[in-house]
Amino acid sequence: MYQDLDPLIHSQLRLAIISMLVCSKKVEFTHIVEETNAAAGNISIQIKKLKEAGYIKVEKTFKNNYPKTMLSITDKGVKAFELYVNELKKYITPK
Amino acid sequence: MDKNNLTPEESFNIINKAIANFKMNYKEGAKTFLLFGWILTLASFSNFIILKILHSKEAYELMGFYSLGNWVVFGIIAFIFLFFMERKTNKDKKVYSHLDGYVKNIWIVAAASFFIAVLICIKLEIAPPPIMLLIAGIATTTSGLLIKFRPLIIGGMSFFIFSIATTFVSNENIALIVGVATICGYLIPGYFLKSAKE
Repeated sequence: MYQDLDPLIHSQLRLAIISMLVCSKKVEFTHIVEETNAAAGNISIQIKKLKEAGYIKVEKTFKNNYPKTMLSITDKGVKAFELYVNELKKYITPK
Repeated sequence: MDKNNLTPEESFNIINKAIANFKMNYKEGAKTFLLFGWILTLASFSNFIILKILHSKEAYELMGFYSLGNWVVFGIIAFIFLFFMERKTNKDKKVYSHLDGYVKNIWIVAAASFFIAVLICIKLEIAPPPIMLLIAGIATTTSGLLIKFRPLIIGGMSFFIFSIATTFVSNENIALIVGVATICGYLIPGYFLKSAKE
């Protein structure tokens, strides 16, 4: 039914991740886990898909000797999100 | 949780929820306003006392030296506190929002302007407070407009009024006006920010 919507964004978890990243410069992985209440493993899979599509950037650093993963949206990701929202509007307010 | 057959309404709800949860961390900003609010208020009132004492002793040549020294000491204290506060905040920070970045940039530019303004005022032999309050007003009002926080906008605008007021009073009373301006422009909005819901 919603064939024009980007299938990579049109999923509950991936949309939540992309929406968070659109609002921010950088977000830590653990924060996304807390906000979405999803399993860390599941989030990792979705992040991998978004990263492979070039929608997000993943930076791995260390904080107090613990690994820290920071995520940010790329220009391609912003454009894809904008397109997704515009397409979504057509379904909400059909001509 | 991962549903792929979302309705447009469900999609919009997810987007709205994410945006609503990602508003600027008000309490973080409040700490900086309170730090500078308290330190600048103390600096202004101690400057007033210094000027009053020296005025009564008619040691005019010492006034500028002690006054500048007073501001430098309080300025250094403020920046030392800010350094450790920022270090702690960055350690615990999980989200770096665009808004945080914009507000931070405004204050970096304001800090540079403060410094240049002081140099210009020393060179022109004029009192810095009117210009300093004007810069503080610009940065505070703009920050308030960016985060859409009315007490900060009003506090920032009060700096403009106090800036004009300083041109009508004597040197030692300027210090008093700066103190009151800091309370109205930084401290009161700072406490409002601290108690604001995130």
